[in-house]
Amino acid sequence: MKKSPTLVSVVAMALLMLTAAPVLAHFGALIPSSAIVGKDDPKTVALQVKFIHPLEQHFMEMVKPKQFGVIHAEQKTDLLASLKEAKGSSPDQTEKFTFWTTEFPIKRPGDYTFYVEPTPYWEPAEDLYIVHYTKVCVNALGLEEGWDQPVGLETEIIPMTRPYGLWTNNLFTGQVLLKGKPVPHAEVEIEYLNASPGNPSMVLPPADPYVTQVVKADANGVFSYAMPRAGWWGFSALNEADWTIDHDGQKKNVEIGAVYWVHTRDMK
Amino acid sequence: MKIPRTVAVCMLVSLLFGGTALAHKVNLFAYVEAGKVHTESYFPDGRPVEDGKVLVYDSGDALLLEGRTDQEGLFSFPIPKVDDLKIVIDASMGHKNSFELKKAEVEAGK
Repeated sequence: MKKSPTLVSVVAMALLMLTAAPVLAHFGALIPSSAIVGKDDPKTVALQVKFIHPLEQHFMEMVKPKQFGVIHAEQKTDLLASLKEAKGSSPDQTEKFTFWTTEFPIKRPGDYTFYVEPTPYWEPAEDLYIVHYTKVCVNALGLEEGWDQPVGLETEIIPMTRPYGLWTNNLFTGQVLLKGKPVPHAEVEIEYLNASPGNPSMVLPPADPYVTQVVKADANGVFSYAMPRAGWWGFSALNEADWTIDHDGQKKNVEIGAVYWVHTRDMK
Repeated sequence: MKIPRTVAVCMLVSLLFGGTALAHKVNLFAYVEAGKVHTESYFPDGRPVEDGKVLVYDSGDALLLEGRTDQEGLFSFPIPKVDDLKIVIDASMGHKNSFELKKAEVEAGK
């Protein structure tokens, strides 16, 4: 016998959806058109700056970041003024959300680490602000220098695996820093970017725990994860800031994330 | 099976140098500024290619000039021709690579 849903079950479902929402991991995303620029490649890198759920492809509204730049040969360049506003959404989102794009001309060989400090994002479901300091490295013209250097952000992941030229199933190892010091036993969330260019089919998680992978760092803040699919992978180490932000006259906690993106390719 | 001594030596030598060539690919980067073409030759880890031979060809593959890199891996020369330039770095032991400078880039750097 087919039963129509009772009011109780509808309310229960709605509650479940509400409480389920915070389980989804937010990720700052900084995705370049290519992680490696060779001598015969176009010398302009397009970058997208987003705040998303990488596996589910959901966008969140992102206002203009506080800081956006690149470090190359130990020199920082401010690129904030180059950001252009764009709109996007996942297939199951009806509303359009703001993200940011830019194009960066590669002028010299070496590693270019792009970094973004977003404007704090108010998350009512978690009653806190979120700031994800996000980085990605683009290697240019055969000179592999700079990728292991810190930018000097409040919190950041320092790659210990060279973060480009990675095969699928490679192990990515990084160290989580907070104010320049390793974070013992830091928790690191990992997600696959379903919208990775070249992803042959959407990854559909069979159960919630598959969406976000979780690893814990050792006593030196060092973590590792083997990436089982070609495309972009986001690593996010979350900590609580020792500062607060006023929201409607109340002091609210701030989740600060150190996010790093790496790209893998299938061996063939 | 007995491996002839010369073959064994060759294998050993190729192992030694073959390994080096793979791990130490040479690169050349060039740009044009104030009427001069500047080249930089380096290994992936940033070490300069010292005393490497640099050969400059035009779009018809004619050799325009050649020179050698200094201790910092640098070699500069006045623009030899406003054309697509192919610049080759030829270091020892078969370390070789090239870089293309487009005519427009050469023109812009006059």
